[in-house]
Amino acid sequence: MRKFFPVSDLARDERFNQVTNEERMADPRGSGNTGVIRKARSTNRLTPSRPDATDAARNLMHGIMVGEIQALEGAGRTCFDFVTGEEAPFALKLDMARQCWDEARHVEISVKLSEWMGTELGQFVENTVLFAAACSQDPVMRLAGVNRALEGLAIDVFTTMKEFGEIAGDPYLAFCEDWMLADEVTHVKMGSDWLRKITENDPERRKKALEFQTVVDKLFSYGGLRSESDESPILLARRFRELAGFTDSEITEIADVSLAALNERREALERTLAPSPA
Amino acid sequence: MADPFKARNPFAPWDRRELPGMFDVEETARRVGHYKWAEMKLFEVLGGWIATVPEIDVKLRLGTHCYKHAWHSELWHKRLPELREMNPDRLTVPPNDAMIRFIAAFTEPEAPEMTIEKLVGAYRVFIPHFISAYTFHLNNTSQITDGPTIRSLKFILQDEFEDWRDGEMLIQSLLTTPAEVKRASEHQARLEILLIEAGGIAGPGTIGSAYAE
Repeated sequence: MRKFFPVSDLARDERFNQVTNEERMADPRGSGNTGVIRKARSTNRLTPSRPDATDAARNLMHGIMVGEIQALEGAGRTCFDFVTGEEAPFALKLDMARQCWDEARHVEISVKLSEWMGTELGQFVENTVLFAAACSQDPVMRLAGVNRALEGLAIDVFTTMKEFGEIAGDPYLAFCEDWMLADEVTHVKMGSDWLRKITENDPERRKKALEFQTVVDKLFSYGGLRSESDESPILLARRFRELAGFTDSEITEIADVSLAALNERREALERTLAPSPA
Repeated sequence: MADPFKARNPFAPWDRRELPGMFDVEETARRVGHYKWAEMKLFEVLGGWIATVPEIDVKLRLGTHCYKHAWHSELWHKRLPELREMNPDRLTVPPNDAMIRFIAAFTEPEAPEMTIEKLVGAYRVFIPHFISAYTFHLNNTSQITDGPTIRSLKFILQDEFEDWRDGEMLIQSLLTTPAEVKRASEHQARLEILLIEAGGIAGPGTIGSAYAE
């Protein structure tokens, strides 16, 4: 088996269809779609009162499920790709193995929740960007891109879905999201702790890793998907991010990036809707 | 109530543990170091294979089992300093070159069509050898002086038996034709030969000798 497994070779059964981030965001059934039909609403937050709530919630849950599969695969590759003690500490690998077990449970949970919501495996497309962030040849970059940026996004998503379950009167959904949220806070904290520990005496490596994290954060703020504004479908979960080891300034930076993405989307929408010159 | 000052035996009549054991501290540390090395290799490979298997149920089991073997290696890692090895890395080694060749062959399958070979390597060869090595150790070590190793062995063996059953059932669910059965057997034989050459996961004497001297 090769070291460093390319995203293009991820093994899937016949039900799965993989696409780019942009293609997935353009899916009109998506929770993240803040396009023309959403213009008249005062809020885009994913709530049961949205007319498209059923499709949006199912799409989001399917996205969580495939994201968990990739998180499982990424953590597994970090166990294998690096030489223990030389390229990655033994204790870091133990944490990644623990993450494998957690992600495997998350897949099980989200498969059952998807069934509960009336969705079939592969009914929505799979965006492979999460695993792509787990392909770096530096374990610190993986921690920044996956554990800090993407698992951080998972904190925001699970908080939103838990809230969705509570408002919708679905204790089954809220219960499961709460459990997954607890695991994600642990994973993000693992990332925060290891990033600081490994780069303690290597400021350049830490800077590069944090830059990579910003790139991934921006990618997932695409179209204002996640921010502190009601116009975003997913709420930035400040409190849980604090528990996971993010500093106030780091959370503010993510909030600013997300807001800028939302503003860009808003301006693009206004240009689209402006009457064209006769 | 019985008189609390009446003399009692330190060992209750139902406690039949004995002092003698086959392994001294040094030999125990040597074995534990090999166990840790082998468990590490197993969890790393199981983790690496997750992305390579298309079958979703197999993917999820590999993820779960990856953690269990990582935890076993952690238990052995923590046991080594208690066995007077303050630098656990010094003993975290394969018993011989044949074991390295076994790990190379075990790790080799990557293609998505090779799930049978991956599972056979883990669940029909490697894990049964862990079970036998740990059982031999459990049954031959001093039941009193080596209590901490025994406790870890019992926890680990429970995992190994459960994982072996999970893996065996997955293999049986994948073997649907005579050709697939043949593939599985051939791969098993290839790996078994290498592991016999190594003498088991802790080298020659891993499970003692069954022959009269």
